[in-house]
Amino acid sequence: MATTTTANHAEKAEIFCRDETRVDWHSKALWLLRQKRDRAASSLPEWEQLRELGSEYKLHTLSHLGEYLEQFEANCVKQGIQVHWAKNGEEHNRIVHEILSKHQVKKLVKSKSMLTEECHLNPYLEQHGIEVIDTDLGERIIQLNKQPPSHIVVPAIHLKKEEVGELFHEKIGTEKGASDPTYLTRAARQHLREQFLSADAAMTGVNMAIADQGAIVVCTNEGNADMGGNLPGLTLHSMGIDKMVPNMEAASVLLRTLARNAIGQPITTYSSFYHGPKPGGEMHIIIVDNGRTKALQDELLAESLKCIRCGGCINTCPVYRRSGGYSYNYFIPGPIGIAVGAQQDDTNTTAWACTLCGSCTYVCPTKVPLDKIISYQRRLKAEQGKLPYGKERYMPMVGKMMGSTTMFNCAMSVARFSLRYLPHSMLKPFSGAWGKYRELPKAPKTSFETWYNQNRSK
Amino acid sequence: MSSKSDILAALGSVALAKHPMPQVEIAPRLDDLIGQFEASLKAVGGTLVKEDAMSALQAKVAELVGEGQQVISQVADVTGNRETPEDPHALRDINYAVIDGEFAVAENGAVWVTEQGAGIRIAPFICENLLLVVRADSIVANMHQALKQVDLQSTGYGVFISGPSKTADIEQALVIGAHGACTLTVYLV
Ligand code: SF4
Repeated sequence: MATTTTANHAEKAEIFCRDETRVDWHSKALWLLRQKRDRAASSLPEWEQLRELGSEYKLHTLSHLGEYLEQFEANCVKQGIQVHWAKNGEEHNRIVHEILSKHQVKKLVKSKSMLTEECHLNPYLEQHGIEVIDTDLGERIIQLNKQPPSHIVVPAIHLKKEEVGELFHEKIGTEKGASDPTYLTRAARQHLREQFLSADAAMTGVNMAIADQGAIVVCTNEGNADMGGNLPGLTLHSMGIDKMVPNMEAASVLLRTLARNAIGQPITTYSSFYHGPKPGGEMHIIIVDNGRTKALQDELLAESLKCIRCGGCINTCPVYRRSGGYSYNYFIPGPIGIAVGAQQDDTNTTAWACTLCGSCTYVCPTKVPLDKIISYQRRLKAEQGKLPYGKERYMPMVGKMMGSTTMFNCAMSVARFSLRYLPHSMLKPFSGAWGKYRELPKAPKTSFETWYNQNRSK
Repeated sequence: MSSKSDILAALGSVALAKHPMPQVEIAPRLDDLIGQFEASLKAVGGTLVKEDAMSALQAKVAELVGEGQQVISQVADVTGNRETPEDPHALRDINYAVIDGEFAVAENGAVWVTEQGAGIRIAPFICENLLLVVRADSIVANMHQALKQVDLQSTGYGVFISGPSKTADIEQALVIGAHGACTLTVYLV
């Protein structure tokens, strides 16, 4: 199910919605994560304070980012860490390849990093003859299945265990028909253990980079970043400039909210602080811009860089849960995917894959104003003359109609009349995509205004 | 211009107003730190031994060694049967690692382990089972206090470990034992 850029959000969602039981399962599995998150959050009386602190630390860092990046680099260099700067994905990939080829690396083990996904690192390295093994279980599953991630924290959430069983049978030789998650996980552990032990270099993403220490923090539950990072002598860590935090106190705030908000755990199993190469080894950090400084030139888009990639907004999103991660035309789905990726969606539809319910903003641990950014993305599209087909023609009319009390009241009474007296077959086509899976509403006898005046206005 | 100077130049015109550095002012929950830690550790899949923990650990390790299990110990007065190698790959067959944690965190069951404590960075991950020793009076309430205790300037690598490794990547079913240790026991001394 490779993602193509031609189909729009609704068309891709429709593919996902063909299997109704899968959609129900998907929606419930993600809602379960939201419920676990709620329990973890409500167990801390200071939760709202932590969200506010998370937001403020990020805003402070982003508004002083140049200083902190320089401080971070200087502290890393003191520790013997080599720091590289990349303006875009291409430059990042080139730097990584140069380091790897200097050390004649044939096999690279990699733990989860949305940034390397963003830069398309894997295909680049593979073209240059380097084998790349994704080591997070979910990532390995989709790598073997030749798919991109469908979620930033649980990348294989779209697959059922039977499908994983089938895939593992074919690729790593598990028993035919076996689908028990424990059995499959153990088999993957064996398979990946061999990869860890035979890798020439390891690469990880970065959850936080601490400026006044010159250290990076990597969080995983599986231990794959550390199994990789602590075996071969050579390790590389890629980070967006937005991963910076000023000090340990800021890191302590985000470490308290990240896993709670992502999956309802009080902290990830491993929160590792890499602060220098291992004896005799080499440690490289690649700092990547790739459009982030541009987002920072816009007051509202800048706030999207407060994101710590917990996935909480994706889990709670009613549209994501029912349309799946492959419907967004961007490698990050859900609300945060729209917030940072809508401008790259050439179908100009994902900005509308949102009900503006605001649930995402409410759960976000760093208070990214997701719904505001999404409606802003719509405005940007409109200003660029890129409204999706249809909306461009009727939206200005809707605007005019809603703006005039007389026109609005008149239109509403026509609608009530039509719904009551015209045949269904004649009306249904007017409801368009909205009516595809919905019935037409029953028309009330009077308008709300009339009802209110009669019943409540005294 | 180098990419670094380009990036820094672009950061000269950030649209955000300058925000001041915030301060964490959260009162830690200090009641029954051991009880809190025990509950948190259990919730993340770990086990706590607190009665006569040092002798329990010594007896356990003697028994494991007697069974021919491969045990590496960095803890004083606990003797394993393997040395710390220079090449981390040499630990591929380790069954048990015994390591000192510097302190523990009540709110999440995590224990802070450094490369000095582990002897070699890979030890707490490559072993099948991890046995950590922590002083009962070293437990702090939460991560704010924990990170105040961490002294990164004295170590190249440190890790908070909260329970055994786990994953829920197949249909959200929790499986203990992903890539790191499959069991974690904390001995409180
Ligand atoms: S926007 Fe907020 S909720 Fe969404 S992934 Fe980022 S930090 Fe998490």
